[in-house]
Amino acid sequence: MRARPHRGHSLGHIGTLDLVETLLTVVRKDASLRRVPSSGERIIFWTLPAVAVIWLAAFFLFPGFVRPMSPRASATEVATFYREHTARIRYSMILLNWFCVALIPLLMLVVERMRGMAHRTPILRFCVIGVAGAAPIAFLTTTVFWLLAAFQPERAPELTQLLNDLGWVTFTCGVPFLVAQSGFLALAIHFDRQEQPVFPRWVAHFNLVIGLALIPAAFAGLTKTGVFAWDGLVSFWVKNVAIAIWIIVMSIVVGHAVESDHAAGAEAVA
Amino acid sequence: MTRRSLRDNPKRELWLAWGATVFFYNLYAVVFFLFTHIQPPGQPWYSPDQASTWFTEHHHGLGIGLALIFVFGGLSATSIALITYSIRRMSVSRAFSYSYLIIYSVSAVPGFLFICVALTAGIMRPERSPQLQHWLYQLGFLSFSGTMGVFLIGSLIWMCAILLDGNRVFPKWFGYLNLCNALTEVVVSPSWIFKTGVFPWNGLIAWWIDVVIFGIYTGVFITLLRSMIIREDFGTGPLPAVPAWRFWQSPVETAP
Repeated sequence: MRARPHRGHSLGHIGTLDLVETLLTVVRKDASLRRVPSSGERIIFWTLPAVAVIWLAAFFLFPGFVRPMSPRASATEVATFYREHTARIRYSMILLNWFCVALIPLLMLVVERMRGMAHRTPILRFCVIGVAGAAPIAFLTTTVFWLLAAFQPERAPELTQLLNDLGWVTFTCGVPFLVAQSGFLALAIHFDRQEQPVFPRWVAHFNLVIGLALIPAAFAGLTKTGVFAWDGLVSFWVKNVAIAIWIIVMSIVVGHAVESDHAAGAEAVA
Repeated sequence: MTRRSLRDNPKRELWLAWGATVFFYNLYAVVFFLFTHIQPPGQPWYSPDQASTWFTEHHHGLGIGLALIFVFGGLSATSIALITYSIRRMSVSRAFSYSYLIIYSVSAVPGFLFICVALTAGIMRPERSPQLQHWLYQLGFLSFSGTMGVFLIGSLIWMCAILLDGNRVFPKWFGYLNLCNALTEVVVSPSWIFKTGVFPWNGLIAWWIDVVIFGIYTGVFITLLRSMIIREDFGTGPLPAVPAWRFWQSPVETAP
């Protein structure tokens, strides 16, 4: 690219072309570090706080979560709920529809860390990739059912109840991929026997506990009352709190690993 | 296998994935054939009232069986990971292995999650109007039988890789068995159109022939994956041939 004369540092004096060139310089500088495998991972990592805020906001915006909707509600009650809260249901579910797949980049940061583990084969990495897409897609399907119910809340109450049921069953029982993911990660960390393991050992046990905490939700279809019902203690609160804790803890653990990889990579280039 | 031998075995990840694959397919068979009676499937020509009665009759089996799939369904990733690994071990581009990994991974949601969700919603409210129970019944069976493309293209990718492979990871005849499996996805497609005769989702062609081929195919690929793990030398060249006597040896004895 043709060199342009320097025009000082004040942003006010910089034209569009200068701005483009400044950006290109940054990119070129970054390109010299192209061989650092963790390059750009900080950007992915720092999207997480924003995603977390959006998720939390959407979670509290959806009136069916703050006090979980009861599976015992009659069709008329469910239809009334959708009629009374149409806007909040729509906005919260559009938000979650946009951002539920934002978990995948975090999972891919984990997958990249797994390359450094003392494994003989990439099998466990493939296993995690295999389930990484399915859980967010299951959640995406959930938002579609709830959005569909809210799209035309005046339809026959039985139809609204059917869509609501499909949404809640997918949301609550759709844990197989998360359970397996925790199991695969626990095993992968357990097998990472080296002086400086990629993740601390307790992360394996932590994943095991989270995986176990998610299992009871799979049985939510069997009952409409008690702790196993979709609004019950284990199927709603334990499951969702476990997922939230997993995201927070794994973000911190991965953040540390990304930083140390980045530092090591920069050192190697220097 | 003792704990120590597993820890020291360089093929431990492969064996665990293989064990999980065997567990998953056995669980799948037990749940779908014995617990839930989803297989052989219910009648496609059922009236709304009959579909509603079907849910009531299978209430407990469906509830427990589907919950087990909701718990263990993610283990399907282990066979996908092993097959991806097998393709990577071949003398073909990694594009084949990654294509297989992605295609089979996305198949999980329409392939088994939808039927589990639809039938669970069906058993939750036996009092629901028969018309709606009928719709859930059809959603369940049609999504299960009618998720075709992923398995069609996935099997063809595995077939191409096996036929092109120079590392003799799998025998060539197994490549053609993949073609048979792919063709079952073609002949199941009329189940979206017919309710009676040989073509619907429980028909002679769309179900009986398909399920026999799929059963043989699954048994064969699980056995051949075992053979691949035994022969794996972690190199990049051709896998060593397998002498018949080693084929049945226990994994620990054959580990390098």
